[in-house]
Amino acid sequence: MNAYAKRVLNLAYQFSGSYQEAEDQTQEIFLKLYGALPKFDFQRNFTAWLLTLARNHLIDEYRRTKWERTQRDDFDERTTAGPLAGNPQETLEREENRRLVWDSLNSLSADMRMAVILRDLQGRSYEEMAEVLNLPLGTVKSRVNRARLALARVVAEKRGGQP
Amino acid sequence: MTCERPQELFSAYLEGTLDPALRRAVEDHLASCAECAALLATLRKVDEAVAGWPELEPSPALLARLNAIPTARKKFRLVPDIILRPSLQPLFAGAALLLVFVSFLFLAPQGRSFQKAVNRQVHLGWSEAERIYAKAGSITDRLGEYKNNLLGSLRTLNILKKSEAEK
Repeated sequence: MNAYAKRVLNLAYQFSGSYQEAEDQTQEIFLKLYGALPKFDFQRNFTAWLLTLARNHLIDEYRRTKWERTQRDDFDERTTAGPLAGNPQETLEREENRRLVWDSLNSLSADMRMAVILRDLQGRSYEEMAEVLNLPLGTVKSRVNRARLALARVVAEKRGGQP
Repeated sequence: MTCERPQELFSAYLEGTLDPALRRAVEDHLASCAECAALLATLRKVDEAVAGWPELEPSPALLARLNAIPTARKKFRLVPDIILRPSLQPLFAGAALLLVFVSFLFLAPQGRSFQKAVNRQVHLGWSEAERIYAKAGSITDRLGEYKNNLLGSLRTLNILKKSEAEK
């Protein structure tokens, strides 16, 4: 239970950028999950099924309420809890890059943001993403590539340089 | 090569899954296009930044709320779980199809003409069956007559044989 809650909470937080929103959405996703459990096909991968449910809920809510108008939480408010490695200069640079990536996520469309979160922030395989997003493998790969390019352009713009 | 095609291959290039010929083509393009080289450098920075992205732990309050959901749901269950079982889905699908067909027959204008056509065919079929039944009845009667004639003839033949034997 705790592992699934952590997975859904992180997906919701990375997607919405707001901790309060993420907790509320996690609770709603679990309500839906309990409602849908009797319909779960035990031949399927449970994690992929849960992520599909979470992804559909988050994108539906995003389109309904338009979170893009809301500000994302400050990056270092909750996301720098992990141990810092490397020399201070590298650590500082990586944290700055992470802050830029975090602040740039809202500039992507919902589908692209979800693609880059699942692949790069959550580390899902392309095959698992194809199952979660219900898309052919080739489409997933090209969507991830387009999302990364869009994110890199926004990051470069925020740095003040040209991509 | 324009920038579009190499950019489509950047993820595969960074992940090392490109075949050698395409890899060389991308590298040739990067050597001659400063804009794509800068974009790829930013992609690398983003790639480094997202590696080992920190994760949040759910708060005890959230976990308590999530753990309380099954109990709360049991109190307000509108539909028994047995009805939602996947094994019953084909049955519901069949019933839904039947209902669609029935509503098509009784409600849609095309359905009404279809219903009339079906009624006509059923009526014609029924008349044909009645005709065949009547014909079968007359054949039975005729067979009965033939049987009686044959028996009568046999009896007459027996009487003649007996009278000849007495002589």
